[in-house]
Amino acid sequence: MGWDALSCNYNGTEVSVSISKSLDDLLAEVTCFLQKVQFSCLSADSTNDFSNYKEISVNYSFPWHFMQMILLKVPKVVMELLVGGDDSLGSQIGSRILVIEGSSVYSPVESIKCLKLGLKDYVRKHQTRFSVGENLKVGTGVANSSGSSQGNSQVVEAVVIISEMSELVPSSCIREQDMKTEVLYFEDFVSCSIAQSSLDALTNINWKSYGLALRSIANHDGSVMLEWENLLPDFHIHIAIHCYHRQVKQWVAENSLPDRNLVRKAVKCALDDLKENNQGVLLSRRALKMCDYAPDLAKTLAQLILSSNDLNFQEECCSLLGVQSQEVNMDNVGNCIREKIISVIGLNDRNSQKNKEAPTFLFEDDCFQKEHFMEEEYHEGEEAYNFLDL
Amino acid sequence: MGELSRSTIFFSDQHLCYADILSPSQVRARIEVAVLNFLKALSSNSPSISDLSLISRNSSNSRVSRGLLTGDSWIFLSHSFCTRSLTKENSAKSFIRVWKVMEICYQVLVQEKRVTQRELYYKLLCDSPDYFTSQLQVNRTIQDLVALLRCSRYSLGIMASSRGAIAGRLLLQEPDKEVVDCSTCGSSGYAISGDLELLGKLTMGTDARYIIMVEKHAVFQRLAEDRVFNQIPCILITAKGFPDIATRFLLHRMCKMFPNLLVLGLVDWNPAGLAILCTFKFGSIGMGLEAYRYACNIKWLGLRKDDINQLIPKECLVPLKPRDLQIAKSLMSSEILQDSYKEEVAAMVQSGRRAEIEALYCHGYDYLVKFLATKIVQANYL
Repeated sequence: MGWDALSCNYNGTEVSVSISKSLDDLLAEVTCFLQKVQFSCLSADSTNDFSNYKEISVNYSFPWHFMQMILLKVPKVVMELLVGGDDSLGSQIGSRILVIEGSSVYSPVESIKCLKLGLKDYVRKHQTRFSVGENLKVGTGVANSSGSSQGNSQVVEAVVIISEMSELVPSSCIREQDMKTEVLYFEDFVSCSIAQSSLDALTNINWKSYGLALRSIANHDGSVMLEWENLLPDFHIHIAIHCYHRQVKQWVAENSLPDRNLVRKAVKCALDDLKENNQGVLLSRRALKMCDYAPDLAKTLAQLILSSNDLNFQEECCSLLGVQSQEVNMDNVGNCIREKIISVIGLNDRNSQKNKEAPTFLFEDDCFQKEHFMEEEYHEGEEAYNFLDL
Repeated sequence: MGELSRSTIFFSDQHLCYADILSPSQVRARIEVAVLNFLKALSSNSPSISDLSLISRNSSNSRVSRGLLTGDSWIFLSHSFCTRSLTKENSAKSFIRVWKVMEICYQVLVQEKRVTQRELYYKLLCDSPDYFTSQLQVNRTIQDLVALLRCSRYSLGIMASSRGAIAGRLLLQEPDKEVVDCSTCGSSGYAISGDLELLGKLTMGTDARYIIMVEKHAVFQRLAEDRVFNQIPCILITAKGFPDIATRFLLHRMCKMFPNLLVLGLVDWNPAGLAILCTFKFGSIGMGLEAYRYACNIKWLGLRKDDINQLIPKECLVPLKPRDLQIAKSLMSSEILQDSYKEEVAAMVQSGRRAEIEALYCHGYDYLVKFLATKIVQANYL
């Protein structure tokens, strides 16, 4: 039938398909196709009877930006379906108007939620066979400007999704494009080439604080591709950015270039949101190194606790850890300590940008400690010699 | 007298940081508090991974205590701290090392045993090869733990191996054991145990007038073999190089028990030899939380620059090594070193040469005894 071919040719401005079926069959298959792209046809207005057409061709415009509007989950979209065919009387053209709605659940909608849903759907559709079901981690961010004198404030929304592939994926199946992220970019509800200011914003984000190393950022005809270094093979990042104005008063006169700082802030908020809600994700390199030590430290502490012949001490430790007395064993205690350490590492990593808290010390009750604290630079392997230190 | 000076208002005890000598149960309790505090911080509403705050063991945190009524001076550590933190890349591993040594010490104490530093090294090497690669690293981590928990190394259940030896006019008796006459122990002398508790229980008796600390084992053996203590009423003691805590402990104990004995040091003429003498005399920074207790008023008998000029042929002098120069620099910058010692160091550096005690043998194998006797009679010591 050719629907698969149709969906692959989805990135043009027009798509056409020729079939020889009855109109009813045609409508059924078009409906099915539209459902595949998450339309629900609520009504169709039929003005022509095409039942006598022997050969029916359907031409309809399905612009790329229209698909993006699906991604943006724009509440209401109307599509005109033109049906043309040849019969014994010659060429005939009829039309039907289809009213397509986004999910009615989000009406009235917050556009950031729409963008989030839309990107999730998009990611699901583009998952490989190795992708792990619903294992999508999502972060959203919104940044507003204070508005111009006309009261028209600029809004930038960003959604970042991390999807993971199955652990069983063979390395030969990892495609080069898995190491890259295409940034889906919209302005005022329309897909367009990325503005230079937005591109600069992406370049200036401190990706390292999220454990990411940006190798290159390429702009090919408005399509932005971020290439990463050392991305884990089971890890894929998806980004969508939408810049728009709250009110369009003077469409032509308004300088609608997105503010670089707003774009940067929105993307950063989305990354922070993702990190905040998903333990162990987007940890900085420093935090990842600390996590490497967590199992050894946890095992050491667990062994110390369980080697004690003081049951009160053991009970108090387990109570602090939330380990029930009947579950006390090396694995449970060790795992619990390890999880807490990793959780704290992640929390501190998320907070490290916001504020630097004073460190906590093991023994806090020494008053001299605070008065005379001098932090000594410790160098691994230092052989500083002092004659009275033989 | 020493006790009186410590209790005067002139003694800077408010700055003194020290390691307690504790019973095994007390140390276990401190370790348990450490673990509970760590878990509390980890599980609190504002969870955190606690840093380890250790007394700094470097010269900037060292102070000098000078006895007013005695000539005794010693080094001690004050209240400056350094940190071992999991959150800092350059100290994360040392942070883990402290916990690992703490774990083993706790288990040793629970089992009411003692281990040597060497035994600890092999245990850690096998259990945690990623963290421990050398004996020095293990020893330093042990000192970190001492500085964290503020209890002595011995209290943690760790003994140094037996290192030092003693010979001469001394009678020793361990509890419930036979009396040992150290003048009949042969050239090797009586081995000084690494067990401080055992050393503290020794009963001692002597008719000596001098204690001679000898830097090197070979010279100690020569003097013991020649029975120098029959000609000069003395006790010979050696740490065979680096002054370990046990030897310092025993020497200090003898000084307290026999306060009329003059303590003299016989070391090579080089910065390292003087540094060894100074460690007996003032204590050390590396073990500064404990070592200040075991300082004793030892005088520098030889070799000194006058001996070199008068007695040592030039052929017997060898060039100083780079390490000697490093030590010399450290000695010269030390606050505690008296001027006469600094003049000696300056002479060493200026000559660029050093000499071993054995160089005196060019005058005959029995010359060393004559040398010692002459210097003692002349009171030629600093």
